[in-house]
Amino acid sequence: MASEETSSGGGRRPARLTVLLIVLLLVPFAYSVVGRFVPKGTASDEVFLERPPAKYKRCVKGTDYMRYHHWELLRETREQVVRYGIRGEIALDRCRECHQKRERFCDQCHSAVSLTPDCFHCHYYP
Amino acid sequence: MVETTPDLSHRSQGAPALPGADMSSVAARNARPIRIEPDLDFIRSLNQRAGNALKKCFQCGTCSATCALSSDRLPIPRKEMAWASWGMKERLLNDPDLWLCYQCNDCSTSCPRGARPGDVLAVVRQEAVIHHAFPRFYGEWANQPHSIPLLLGIPAALLTLALVLRAPLENALGISRSLGPRISYSYSNVLPHWLLNTLFLLIAFLAVLCMIRGVLRLWCSMRTTCAGDGRALRAKGFLASLGVALKSVLAHDRFSKCAQSRSRYWSHLAVFFGFLALSLVTLWVITAPYNPLIQGNFVYPFSFWNPWKLLANLGGIALVGGCLWMIWDRLRNGEEAGVSTFFDWALIATLLAAALTGFMTEILHYVRLEPHRHLAYFVHLVLVGALFLCLPYTKLAHIIYRTAALTSAAYYGRDSTGPAMRVQATTSQGMEV
Repeated sequence: MASEETSSGGGRRPARLTVLLIVLLLVPFAYSVVGRFVPKGTASDEVFLERPPAKYKRCVKGTDYMRYHHWELLRETREQVVRYGIRGEIALDRCRECHQKRERFCDQCHSAVSLTPDCFHCHYYP
Repeated sequence: MVETTPDLSHRSQGAPALPGADMSSVAARNARPIRIEPDLDFIRSLNQRAGNALKKCFQCGTCSATCALSSDRLPIPRKEMAWASWGMKERLLNDPDLWLCYQCNDCSTSCPRGARPGDVLAVVRQEAVIHHAFPRFYGEWANQPHSIPLLLGIPAALLTLALVLRAPLENALGISRSLGPRISYSYSNVLPHWLLNTLFLLIAFLAVLCMIRGVLRLWCSMRTTCAGDGRALRAKGFLASLGVALKSVLAHDRFSKCAQSRSRYWSHLAVFFGFLALSLVTLWVITAPYNPLIQGNFVYPFSFWNPWKLLANLGGIALVGGCLWMIWDRLRNGEEAGVSTFFDWALIATLLAAALTGFMTEILHYVRLEPHRHLAYFVHLVLVGALFLCLPYTKLAHIIYRTAALTSAAYYGRDSTGPAMRVQATTSQGMEV
């Protein structure tokens, strides 16, 4: 009798744990399904590039490069200026000539991918 | 007492000599002489790999008595030990009950002769995977250490070929390479989704085809074993049986009965649910463009706090943790965990490597290391590809074979074996004596 009780008690615990784990697995489904049918403020989570006023015909590099590698360009520029004193064409100030607002341009992507670059700790970019 | 008696009479009428069934049907079978043709090579190879176990076993039955999963309807592992000692290779490899053992090694640790039945069954399961594999020579080849370079080389070559063919294919099919107005730091500029989906669906299709062939072989042999001369004693419908099996797999209820190595339950649970979570997220991402539930609201790559991303990360952590736990268990508690062969290590190592390269890819993505993250992703994809390509030939096949065996046990009504019933059965026999 005693062994019977312990074994049935042991059987209930895994069952409860399984239900908990399955519920965990289903949370993202619920999120997606609810997100589909509940209208949001914005049309979607997707971030789109703001088209800047056309002061220049093109940026310093191609769109694909600027989209994914602009930080490399800026990092390189920083090194050139800070370490070697070489000031070239590229400066964060000049980006602002087309991409005027930080929250409309930089922050949109950065916050979407949980990124907090330290550029703006020093550079004024409203 | 009342419950077991009608069942016995019922079986003696049906007369399909169930392994370990009641005495009358065994007697009926023994009426005609059975000629045993022992496969000596098989005995020799089992003895070699399971520490001369078959020479030590003297059929006392302590193993079946201590096994928490064994019952009068479904006795393991004593009969398997007998078949192994007699070299009844075919019988053993087609035995569904082989897959109902979880190698808790309760039997191995309590065996008075140190014959380690748990290890014997593990080795026989490995043989059974190769036996049911289609094509069989590939199953034999894939389970040898010197095949590793080629096992990883094949998916690597396939992926490289796909990358080489990418540009001409995109031109021919008119797939646009421009990224459109979307901003995402994705992998698709090097490894586009259409390419990966096509390649991996092809690989998965091949693997599933071979797996179906293997599982059909096992199912047919289980039918012969369980239903004897064709008068099947069906207890449930097929789908209901599959439901019972899947429920048991999800709950790990049989695993949880193991007393000797309790940690196996936890490590397997972690690996199982980690793997399940990662598979679900992968399926969700692959089907996203065609899924009516998420169209228009799907952003990939996910942001860090997206529930899907969280699920994937948690699943990955569970998988890595579970694998490390298993490795630790096998290295430290060799005696309780049982013999570890290449068959075991290969699966744990591949799973762990796939999970770790996955995390490596994610980390390199977050630190924005441009060629490195693609390289890590490539290695990750090769490992995942190898895992899929070898599904029917490695230990991973236990996912399918165990589910099939559990389904058949429910299908032929051999599974209603709670501990409560075992207690009743023994008391009833005791009273009769």
